[in-house]
Amino acid sequence: MATPILVVDDSAMSRKLLIKALPADWNVEVTQASNGQEALEAYRGGNAHVIFLDLTMPVMDGYEVLENLKKEGLNAFVIVISADVQPKAQERVKALGAIAFLRKPVKTKEISAVLEEFGIL
Amino acid sequence: MSIVTLSADQTDALQEIVNIAMGQAGDSLARVLDTFVVLSVPRIRLIEAEQVSQSVAALMDDATTEVTAVRQSFSSHLRGEAIVIFTSGSVSALSDLMGYEHSVDAQTEKEVLFDVSNILVGACLNGVAEQLDADLTFSAPSIISENVTPDRVLTGNNLPWNYCLKVEVNFTLEEKNFKSHLLIMMAEDAIATLGESLNEFIAAI
Repeated sequence: MATPILVVDDSAMSRKLLIKALPADWNVEVTQASNGQEALEAYRGGNAHVIFLDLTMPVMDGYEVLENLKKEGLNAFVIVISADVQPKAQERVKALGAIAFLRKPVKTKEISAVLEEFGIL
Repeated sequence: MSIVTLSADQTDALQEIVNIAMGQAGDSLARVLDTFVVLSVPRIRLIEAEQVSQSVAALMDDATTEVTAVRQSFSSHLRGEAIVIFTSGSVSALSDLMGYEHSVDAQTEKEVLFDVSNILVGACLNGVAEQLDADLTFSAPSIISENVTPDRVLTGNNLPWNYCLKVEVNFTLEEKNFKSHLLIMMAEDAIATLGESLNEFIAAI
């Protein structure tokens, strides 16, 4: 059965790059969201076993998404994919429940490593 | 006069490229200052040269805020000017963070601004160049206007172009009175070169 995943980024280009970087042997059903608000709606609709989350976005940013997910009793694996690579940004998202922090542009083997580490793949 | 444009795809690609580069710039600045840097979503717009001053003024919440601007030109594969605009209060915030005590003299203030400009401009533009397989060289930073209102930043500097690509990135520091804006200005022929590089980038996705 395909794993429902959610790709959240305000840039269509960036979502495209990420989807292309997903491991080829991973059977997924992709939902896309262009801001945090849309992401939360998709998550509540059950479309997200794994969430690839950008941090810097209009309307609602990645930090707010994580805070909301935490409040709602997070039931998904969140992998933050960000251009903002400051150590404090990494600490913050981990404290908010993200399982990993990957730097843009993201590479397939980095995604695979995280998925394997958490037994998702 | 030819009409210069970037397509929606080119703009989207450039926005993402700048976003990645800006992340590196923010990280460099955060390491130097040992503080968290808040980054904005980059905004990219092609504007006519006569609107540049007005557009710089629109960056500020308050049109009476005094600012100081530092310029660095870049050349090689891509050519243009990078302009970093600091609110006047930013200088003392930066001096504090960089470990200078009490009041610093004008020369030291300048050095602080040049150091920070170098970090932001270097990291951001090198990040863009790297992703587009281009090389860049930079001039030393120089101050183009000091303690002026935002609408006056670029007056008196005749812009030798009809169009400018305005790439706007905002950096703020938490708990500090620091705000800066990075603008990248390019002339028509350089925008055309950039457009070609972006097409290659898009084709490779």
